[in-house]
Amino acid sequence: MSNAVIEIRNLSKIYRDFWGRKKVQAVKSLSMDVQKGEVFGLLGPNGSGKTTTMKMLLGLLFPTSGEMTILGKSASDVSKNEKIGYLPEESYLYRFLNADETLDFYGRLFNMSAADRIRRSDELIEMVGLGKARRRQLKEYSKGMTRRIGLAQALINDPELVLLDEPTSGLDPLGTREMKDLILRLKAQGKTVVMCSHQLADVQDVCDRIAVLFQGELKVLGRVDELLEMRNETQMRTSSLSMEAQEDIRKVLEKHNIKNAQFTSPRADLEELFLRTVRESGERPGRRFSAEEIAASGKGGNA
Amino acid sequence: MDFDIRPYDLSSAATSWMVLVGILTLISVGLSFVLSLARNGVSGVAIFTTGLGSYLGDLFSLSPKRIYALTKLTLLEAIRRKALLVFVVFAVLLMFAGWFLTDTNSRPELQVSIHVTFLLTAIAWLILPAVIFLSCWALPEDIRIRSLHTVVTKPARRLEIVIGRMAGMGIVSCLVLVVMGVIGAVWIYRKLPENSRSQLTCRVPVFGQLYFFDADGQPAATGINVGDTWMYRSHIAGNSRARAVWMFRDVNESSIVTDTIGTGDEAKTVEGLKLECRFEAFRTVKGSEKSVLQGVQAQYTLSSNPREEAFGMLSQGEALRPVADALRDGQFRNGSDRLKELATRVRTTPDELRPADYLGLQNGLAVAGVILKEMKLPALLPVQEKFDAASSRGIALLRVLQTNNATGATDKPPYAEFAESLETLAGGILENADLLHESLPKLEVPLPAFHISEYHEGAAENITVIPRKLRFAADYETLARFLSGIFEKWSEEGKLVEGNAISSGLVDSLQKDASVSPLNAELLATVLNEQLTAGTLKISDGKLAVADGRRWFAFFDDLIRKELLISQDTEGWLIEKDLLTDLVSNGFLRVEVACLNDQMYLGMARPDLFIRKPDRSFLVGYTKALVSIALMLMLIIVLGVTVSCTVKGPVALFFTLTFFLVGQFFHEFMMKMLSGQEQGMGTLESAVLIAQHRNPQVGMDVSSTTSAVLKGADKGLEGVLRVFSNIVPDFSVFNRGSSFVENGFDVPFNDCVVPAVAIFAGFLIPCVLMAGAMLKFRELEAK
Ligand SMILES: Nc1ncnc2c1ncn2[C@@H]1O[C@H](COP(=O)(O)OP(=O)(O)O)[C@@H](O)[C@H]1O
Ligand SMILES: [Mg+2]
Repeated sequence: MSNAVIEIRNLSKIYRDFWGRKKVQAVKSLSMDVQKGEVFGLLGPNGSGKTTTMKMLLGLLFPTSGEMTILGKSASDVSKNEKIGYLPEESYLYRFLNADETLDFYGRLFNMSAADRIRRSDELIEMVGLGKARRRQLKEYSKGMTRRIGLAQALINDPELVLLDEPTSGLDPLGTREMKDLILRLKAQGKTVVMCSHQLADVQDVCDRIAVLFQGELKVLGRVDELLEMRNETQMRTSSLSMEAQEDIRKVLEKHNIKNAQFTSPRADLEELFLRTVRESGERPGRRFSAEEIAASGKGGNA
Repeated sequence: MDFDIRPYDLSSAATSWMVLVGILTLISVGLSFVLSLARNGVSGVAIFTTGLGSYLGDLFSLSPKRIYALTKLTLLEAIRRKALLVFVVFAVLLMFAGWFLTDTNSRPELQVSIHVTFLLTAIAWLILPAVIFLSCWALPEDIRIRSLHTVVTKPARRLEIVIGRMAGMGIVSCLVLVVMGVIGAVWIYRKLPENSRSQLTCRVPVFGQLYFFDADGQPAATGINVGDTWMYRSHIAGNSRARAVWMFRDVNESSIVTDTIGTGDEAKTVEGLKLECRFEAFRTVKGSEKSVLQGVQAQYTLSSNPREEAFGMLSQGEALRPVADALRDGQFRNGSDRLKELATRVRTTPDELRPADYLGLQNGLAVAGVILKEMKLPALLPVQEKFDAASSRGIALLRVLQTNNATGATDKPPYAEFAESLETLAGGILENADLLHESLPKLEVPLPAFHISEYHEGAAENITVIPRKLRFAADYETLARFLSGIFEKWSEEGKLVEGNAISSGLVDSLQKDASVSPLNAELLATVLNEQLTAGTLKISDGKLAVADGRRWFAFFDDLIRKELLISQDTEGWLIEKDLLTDLVSNGFLRVEVACLNDQMYLGMARPDLFIRKPDRSFLVGYTKALVSIALMLMLIIVLGVTVSCTVKGPVALFFTLTFFLVGQFFHEFMMKMLSGQEQGMGTLESAVLIAQHRNPQVGMDVSSTTSAVLKGADKGLEGVLRVFSNIVPDFSVFNRGSSFVENGFDVPFNDCVVPAVAIFAGFLIPCVLMAGAMLKFRELEAK
């Protein structure tokens, strides 16, 4: 008995126009499994068929050919939705409802009792940090807030399987980090998460396994750590080295016949810089930071 | 629009509905099976069966809680999206309407009609566009902005989404309707000029069956056509024996009104039957000052005439008329003789009578048999059987005549047998003449003549309240029956005898208990005493009885014939009868209308005279009209949502609007075309003829090949039309309620509200199922 939550066999999808003529083949003969308890990433550039695959899994689109089961059921079986949470690419919610009403509405669709709905809404609103805005209609929300309420509705039923379509799109780096933390937390709770993204960094941080799609075809499938490991390079990190120390080390390396050693100061990537700035601002409001200060605090922070 | 009720047969409608829905279900299931095969090849079978199974599963696992959530969502959406702004428009409309509508000069009931029409039209046509738009746009919009994606990835069944949507929109439109209705009711009460407010009621009409008697007093299917463009009304000639006769059914206590007659000090309340008419006068002498001023006078006569009913049909055809006339007059001995003569004619010179005469005779005999049977008088049974026997002999005769005529054969028709049965019948009639005479009483109560107020004179309707206790001058037949009734009873009670003489209190009793006038009471007492002395009456066992054992009726009939009871009053024998017990039999009341003026004609159609039951409050009819409107709105919602499950907003809008407009304005026409009532020919054919400037009523040359082609095409068109007319709901049904109220009538529940509910329900169920399936088996893609 396999542990697969999702099984996809030879799945294809052709979009046709009104007259039945072929427009695009969005997915080509895709086969893959997602195991219980893992975080699975669907990776690929825009238009590579990630969303299409996800929509087929949810029964929003019908496959042109191929089979799939999700939680052991057919994709067209509505009852599978009881244990699924889905965050669409953009949060497609009713903009005339406020956060409370939104969660209450979706809770009712799961036949949840009134007490459960209230408890669960409170938890989720707390979790996504919308406490202050819960009585405002969604049309007044910023993109990030919409994303958060979208996430909350996806989790209203405490799902076993969470499908996230571009979960970090539209979020600021802080939000992105929180989203990633959340995904890891879901994983810790034993849930299965499938996310698609075109941002490698997101996937790299949280996914156990990834599939890379390109123009509807599966190109790469495997564990992230294995895929990203560069076996022919080694990286080393110390506090700043003096020129003499660098020369010494170079000599040692030459003894081992290694010629192309490089010595540079490491740079934080932009994401880290932004995160740090926000953190510093919280501690000392009203100040502008010089590059040196940020770099210095960065070292402290990283130590 | 006339206010004649078209009877609505719910059970037959339900049957044809089931057949239609059954066929449609089969077609759609079959079609989707074929489609599935075409798309997926062999695996299509499996896909189809799982799909069907899962849809049936959805059907039986609908969750009220989820439906409620979706309903509430729709409600919230309408409120938050400011759909209720329609109220503002409504309020503004009502505020300014007063300026145009109020005209104190016109007739009160016209005022009411204008106001009510305006109100109901405003309500319906304000909500209508909003509802059409909402129902067609909501779901496609939901799909377009993909908010539906989030809903269907929850366990919500798509069928539940459809139901929830429909319910939500239905509730919204009903709420809006209720609020508008309340505002409207208040508005109309306050806005209506003082003098018209009393006209704001709902009349409850009871319509009857109409038939005519021509100027010779013979039954006729229609009256005279005076060249009226519409041929809608038939006319009766004034100052002749021509009559229009209405038969009203189900006349009972509930038909009686309590009304105030007269004004001021002379006002008194009367219990009675209210008749309202609106006849049309037609003058053959134009410009005669006098006659125009005089106006037209009409007279009602209430009558209960079982003889007319039983034997009226015998008078079709000259040859039979003497028989019929005698029987209708109650001269049964005479009638028997005439029938014998007829039998002889049939036996000896049968060819003198035309086949049409035999047909008429047979028909009349059959009707007489049926009517006599319906009267359920055991005494009449032997006669009735003889009528039936003669009728079946007549059929046998007709059959031979017909075969001869059709095949050219020369079989001898069984004239002798028919004649024999007629003779037997004549014998039976003679034997039972007295019994027939007594059992088939004619009672005629002429009411005072009245002036017809005509349309163009701008007067109110002609309303007559017939008092329940009718006091009138009896004719001799009625008198005999009246007296025999009293004496049979009093004799039984032993009230008439004092010792060996007629009771001296008789005169008193006659005046007090039978409302006989003093002079007539004296006369009667005197005559009776004379008869006792003469020995035609006797006293035995303390009871007064007719000496030769005859019945009281025969005794009084005799006295009247001998002219011994000629009234001492100038007014004649005034007697009192109860409208319901004496004139209504089995719930039937017969009202004859005569026109009294020479050279005038009175035009009338079935709905022109009706019994007006006690009025209902305006609010009753108003509410029913609003219910009809609500049902219409909900039907539009159902259709709009259904259509919008497959197509985009604008297309859905187009389809729904087409449905509505066709159903509203052309449904009746389609039905007429199909049932062949519309004169002329097929659509295409007549279109061609019109184009060629020929008269479409005449038809084409049969030989022409084009015609044959066109006729074929017309058959095809007819098929399309037939399907279409069954699929497009008859929206005019929903407006019918409004028209009733606008014209001051109550809305008949069974014939107006029930069909509206039935049509709504009839469309609701298949539409919901179809919409659910269409939404379930489609991809939710916005592009
Ligand atoms: N409804 C549609 N009709 C036609 N083509 C579509 C439709 N949706 C997506 N596509 C096409 O299918 C391909 C895959 O799209 P999608 O699955 O949305 O990619 P991704 O989510 O990876 O960005 C793209 O080429 C896109 O243009
Ligand atoms: Mg996508």
